[in-house]
Amino acid sequence: MRNLHTTDVMLHGTADEVRRESLLGILAAGDGGPGQSLCLGLGLVWPLNHGSIVACPDDGGRGAERECTRAVSRKGGGMNQLAIISAFLGGAKNRYMTYQADRTLDEKFRLASAVDGIAGLELCYPADFQDVSRLKELLKHYGFKVPAVNFRSRRDDKWWRGSFTSASAAERGEFVDEVKRAMDAAGELNCPRITTCPLNDGTDHLFEMDYVQAYDAAVECFSVVCAHNPQVQVCIEYKESDPRARCLFGTAAEAASFCQIANIDNLGVTLDIGHALCAGERPAQSVALLAKAKRLFYVHLNDNDGRWDWDMLPGAYHLWEFAELFYCLRELGYRDDWYAFDVFPKEIDTVETFKAAVALTRKLEAIADRIDRDTMKVLLRERNPARTLPYLYSLL
Amino acid sequence: MNSLKFSASSGFFGRRRDRFTEYQPDRTLEEKFKLIREIPGIRGIELKYPLDLKDIPFARRLLADSGLVCSAVNADVKDATHFRHGALSSPSAEARQRAVSLLRGAMDAAAEIGAGLVTTCPVADGYDYPFQVEFQSAWGHFVESAAAVASHRCDVRLALEFQPREPHAYTILSSVGKVLHVCAEVALLNLGANLDVGHSFAARESPAESAVLLAGKGRLFYVHSNDNPGDGGDWDMISGTVHFWHWLELLYTFDRVGYDGWLGGDIVAKHMGPGEAYDVNTRMIQRMAALLNRMDTETIRRLIAEGNPAKTFDYLSRWLLPNDA
Repeated sequence: MRNLHTTDVMLHGTADEVRRESLLGILAAGDGGPGQSLCLGLGLVWPLNHGSIVACPDDGGRGAERECTRAVSRKGGGMNQLAIISAFLGGAKNRYMTYQADRTLDEKFRLASAVDGIAGLELCYPADFQDVSRLKELLKHYGFKVPAVNFRSRRDDKWWRGSFTSASAAERGEFVDEVKRAMDAAGELNCPRITTCPLNDGTDHLFEMDYVQAYDAAVECFSVVCAHNPQVQVCIEYKESDPRARCLFGTAAEAASFCQIANIDNLGVTLDIGHALCAGERPAQSVALLAKAKRLFYVHLNDNDGRWDWDMLPGAYHLWEFAELFYCLRELGYRDDWYAFDVFPKEIDTVETFKAAVALTRKLEAIADRIDRDTMKVLLRERNPARTLPYLYSLL
Repeated sequence: MNSLKFSASSGFFGRRRDRFTEYQPDRTLEEKFKLIREIPGIRGIELKYPLDLKDIPFARRLLADSGLVCSAVNADVKDATHFRHGALSSPSAEARQRAVSLLRGAMDAAAEIGAGLVTTCPVADGYDYPFQVEFQSAWGHFVESAAAVASHRCDVRLALEFQPREPHAYTILSSVGKVLHVCAEVALLNLGANLDVGHSFAARESPAESAVLLAGKGRLFYVHSNDNPGDGGDWDMISGTVHFWHWLELLYTFDRVGYDGWLGGDIVAKHMGPGEAYDVNTRMIQRMAALLNRMDTETIRRLIAEGNPAKTFDYLSRWLLPNDA
């Protein structure tokens, strides 16, 4: 561990080219090739248009870390703000156990306010909208913004066989009406988007659903909904399974392709990192695909073991996936926007859980921010993991 | 083929919830009995402990009136108030003691209603994160607790139901191998396994192989019938709807190892009526068993011994798709 201190980096705005002797022991020797700004071998030459990397004395790394953070924020890095999905501040239960008691909206706000670094709440519709004037008071009192309204498309009393894919025209109509109301409610709170995870729109068994009819019904419903207010983004949060053995929108590609089939500009995708991991995706690749399709509207953060949607703390399992994710999000312009935590507190105290989520997220972002853009461009061009991985580990 | 004994689990006939949705109305124990007794082919009922057995004379009366047999007492050890950090494996002596007492109480209740078997799925014993559990002590506690329960009385058997995950990313008792390990450590004749077929699929096992391992050590006490796509999700679907051939192999294996215990349905009806779901689950298994009889288990045994899957499936598929046209 101690050796790594010598490889800590800081951004430096003035130097032109800096030789990093300390990296030599880690990075493999190699020829950068003509026209490349990164040379490995005798030394490391960095292109320095904006941030640059210089060797940092072995001071335990702390000075470097502080410097690094300051440099990034000084550049007005378009930092994304952090929010919590309100439902995760309330009762935490699954099919077997009940971990956290149900809580009132007031209590949820109070808990969220105890978490430093949280600037907003993603509100759930209809649960959080029973008393809108109280809701507005709470938002004002605590100074929280609303990055999204989470429309619940699964309900205990209806839509068991799907909402917008229901075979019943009446149920589909009811879905459309309710989403419109949710959009109006969002508008009143200056909230720019609705997100919905179509959990019950899917199947357990084969031969359970006429898929073509289901897609047609979905296009029809979302066309009406999106036309209701083109200023509001409508986001589909895809998920492969649970509570259905297979949900209709299971992957980034399925969601993106559906949005393109529907051909509606304000219909896009919420990328839930845990869902992407469960679907066997590389989140950064999903980001690229969705951005290409102009459908990357919103991001939920959490982690899991790749098998199931455990809604764990970001980085608990996929440290480098998060680094790549944050790197790509930044590159592709997801800035001055929001990350919402979709993290399940379970047996751990709710406030403590979200404090950890904030700290881990900022840490993972800092790791991603240490990646020098031009260096990475070269490394990506070379596609040589024997160089890229040592470089990445030198940033820790 | 031996004749098969089917039962249904009372827990699946009332209100059901998953993380997101609640299905089905709440039903009283009488209503559950009434629904279950009407399902053709089902002679047994698996009762929940403590929920269904708070009034044992009442439960006995319902059993007598319905003509149903209690196939097993299914003990819940998953109250997060007490078992937040585990039950049988908990670092807290108090939590372990509570879990052991609860399971002993379930054994007493089983004896009182003539069930002879308690089954429990230790879902509270698990973890999510690396560096979360001190494995040496957790496993030590788990084995000690299992021994403390099983030694309570030898006239009631205790079946441990393994499950690879849920509600935690990892459960302590996650595979057939771990159940056999616990049985070997405890070394009591009345400790064995409940082979939940869906859990076995979720753990990427071939349930037929797991059944052979358990039966070989005299530990195949009970079976839960259901199915799932093998994606790791425990969807509790109707048996044979996904793994048709695996189910056929399992039924063939039950016959080979002489399993004559219960097949307890473990099906989540969700939007279907539970009676309908259990009816079809039973019929599917009965039809697969009838198909095996037509195929002739002795011929199948010879084909497996020959070891040529192409030849075996040429034979097996003939019974489903008789015309080569």
